[in-house]
Amino acid sequence: MKESIDARGLSCPQPVLDTLAKIEAMGSGELEVLVDTEASKENVSRAVQAKGWRVESITEDNGEYCLKLAGD
Amino acid sequence: MAFRDLFKRIAPRPRADQRADRGLLVFEHTSEVIRAEQILKSAGYAVKVMGPPPEVQKGCDLVVEFPLMEELDILRSLKGAGVAPMEVLPVTGPLLAPVDLFQVKDFGQYLMVRAANMKITVEKNTRVIVNVSGGGCPDVPYIAARLIGCTLDDAPAPRDIGHTLCGYALELAHAEMLRLCSP
Repeated sequence: MKESIDARGLSCPQPVLDTLAKIEAMGSGELEVLVDTEASKENVSRAVQAKGWRVESITEDNGEYCLKLAGD
Repeated sequence: MAFRDLFKRIAPRPRADQRADRGLLVFEHTSEVIRAEQILKSAGYAVKVMGPPPEVQKGCDLVVEFPLMEELDILRSLKGAGVAPMEVLPVTGPLLAPVDLFQVKDFGQYLMVRAANMKITVEKNTRVIVNVSGGGCPDVPYIAARLIGCTLDDAPAPRDIGHTLCGYALELAHAEMLRLCSP
């Protein structure tokens, strides 16, 4: 099942920490993360890649970013 | 509680009236603060970069705290290096006490240290850097990419790979994080 996090409105590093906690709990699978700053988009991407997860896609809509992440 | 934690609890920050033997070097630009700190530390002086007290409205967002007893030698060294401060102030009261640059936030599993505009976050158990954020300098994404995923011990020092004021602020945060996470 795909999980999701809404980290819009949170300031760094909270979106990163919420995402790391989620992928640690999940172990593997697909995760969708919503953020609303470019810095959070970059920081979440780097953090999950450092944990061995992949950034499958990033879409932007009116200043909000949806990151689709996957881990084996 | 670890012994070092106990020690930190019983070693409070000196009050302003206990800093009477300290002075502040006020510079116009942050780059001068960085140079002055390097020069004075290399020469063995016990100086510390801090935030300016609220009463000091001039200069940049950083000051160098120094031992007043060594004022003449320090000023001579700085003048010789072409980095003379725009003002020298003794710390004479609470209003002139410099402000600690660091803010520490404990997220439980993670610890964040902020220095000026830069933040570094580390997973406590593994000492792995999980986030670097803040600032707007062009080298921040590169520094972040180099540091994230490394342990505090393996990560390059921001001063070695950064070239901007954000890199310098991150160096201060990194050094403080190392101090807080030292065994």
